[in-house]
Amino acid sequence: MPAGSIDAELFNARVPNGRRWLLWFLYKVLWRTVFGVVIGLRYVWAKTSHPDGPVIYIANHNSHLDAMSLMTIVPSHRIHLTHSVAAQDFFGRSGFRSWSMKNLVNAVLISRTKEERDVDPIELLDAMLRQGHSLILFPEGTRGVPGVMADFKRGVGHLASRHPDIPVIPVYLDGLYRNLPKGRTMIVPFGGTLVMGDPLLFPTGTTIDAITDKAQSAIASMAMDLKNENKLPPTDSP
Amino acid sequence: MNKLIEVWDVNAEVQWVILIILCILVFSSVAWNTWNFLKPGKLVKELLVRTRSWWVMCACFIVTTLAHPAVTHIGLAFLSFALLREMYPLLKLDQRERNVVLLCYAVIPVQYTLAYLGMTTLFLAFIPVFMFVVIPFLLVIRGETQGIVRSIGLMPYSLVAWVYGMSHLALLFHLPEIPGFTAGPQGLLLYLIFLVGINDVLQFGWGKTIGQRAVLPKVSPNKTWEGLIGGVLSVTLIAVALRFLTPLEAWEAAITGFCVAVAGFMGDAIASGIKRDLGIKNSGNAIPGHGGYLDRLDGFSAAAAPFFHLIYFFGVTAAG
Repeated sequence: MPAGSIDAELFNARVPNGRRWLLWFLYKVLWRTVFGVVIGLRYVWAKTSHPDGPVIYIANHNSHLDAMSLMTIVPSHRIHLTHSVAAQDFFGRSGFRSWSMKNLVNAVLISRTKEERDVDPIELLDAMLRQGHSLILFPEGTRGVPGVMADFKRGVGHLASRHPDIPVIPVYLDGLYRNLPKGRTMIVPFGGTLVMGDPLLFPTGTTIDAITDKAQSAIASMAMDLKNENKLPPTDSP
Repeated sequence: MNKLIEVWDVNAEVQWVILIILCILVFSSVAWNTWNFLKPGKLVKELLVRTRSWWVMCACFIVTTLAHPAVTHIGLAFLSFALLREMYPLLKLDQRERNVVLLCYAVIPVQYTLAYLGMTTLFLAFIPVFMFVVIPFLLVIRGETQGIVRSIGLMPYSLVAWVYGMSHLALLFHLPEIPGFTAGPQGLLLYLIFLVGINDVLQFGWGKTIGQRAVLPKVSPNKTWEGLIGGVLSVTLIAVALRFLTPLEAWEAAITGFCVAVAGFMGDAIASGIKRDLGIKNSGNAIPGHGGYLDRLDGFSAAAAPFFHLIYFFGVTAAG
């Protein structure tokens, strides 16, 4: 198998049984406890049940904790098939980083710039979805300004338009950036909320831009609902 | 007093109070379910959710109280931690002060370890004397003084209100030997939990049934004079009736019950004021029907320290 081909990358993404149990323990037991008991993350579940097959999770991105919290909502039997999509130039910088991203986070690293890549990332992710893997995407592309959602990149549109049968699950993450802001290494518990939206399905023929816009507005409206949820009524009303 | 279950390694008084708690829970569950069956409505739905949460809370409290004292200490420390964690994001502390916030969290294990080791003097001084100076100093040496008055006020306040007060319950395990007192620290702990819980329930109940005039109309429109007075009087009577859990005489138990009820009301009112200023209804969503940890524990954390000192005064100091 020639190095740098899609087949080689796919072979790379396969998870041996031992690592599968490690991932299950890390995310469904360890991180779930950390999020629930220490950080105090509140989970707001979707009204519909989780789809069975491959899905694309999309979420807003402000902190390294985001990918960890998304892994904890993946059903146990699919944890080894779910990959966060991360930037090669940041996470592949040192041997230790790329090793832990592969073995402990189960991430796929893609390059953000056109010059240095052998494989088109969209082709690779497309092939992974076809093979039954799930993906975790942060369509903002970077962690950005705390608490502010940037415009979505079109990757999620490309993938969803090629796979009309694969649902897109929007997830809104509120306040996780306070626990571990950009540029810090120490987690200080500050709480937060994870809102899981209902799966979105885009019929064949929906344009890439339409999908990207719909995905972004789905997450924006979840953010709005959460903001209005715990408002105090004015004093003069009984 | 005889044990209900002879083989169970828990003293008779505690067994009886657990039976009483169970009876109240069963009675209210049956009552609300019957009411809901006959005439469904919004109020009874809320009561059902609240009662379900009371079942879970009582189970947690009783199991943690009866376990090894170390487990009880850890349980209380967790409650303090949950309160801080719930309030810090709401209080909108400056993100650049997060190292000091981390220190505030670190105070919790230290305070409860001091309690566990029985180092009472240091325990009593650690937060209000040492941390009261150290935390503002750490905020100051950051070199950024804009908005610092707010943080200097909030952080020591949060520690005194939600860690220092609550940790006095752990100190109940280190009371000196009191002659003729058999219920033990577990009995005292359940006595306070029972009084504060029933205080909230009765003030709510009296307020809903005969409440007319609001005590604090601008802070918390739901608290009425009728609810307050009815609650305080009933809790005083209940405190006298349950005094087998304490080393107290009837009149001492009456004073204790009265103070616990009033302190519970005060804690509740303070929390309402804080929440109103922050523009939120509930401090969180951790307990269905009740809100967050602070919504449930506000009275409890305010009543804990007065309760400890009353028990100490009547049981140890006054008894000679």
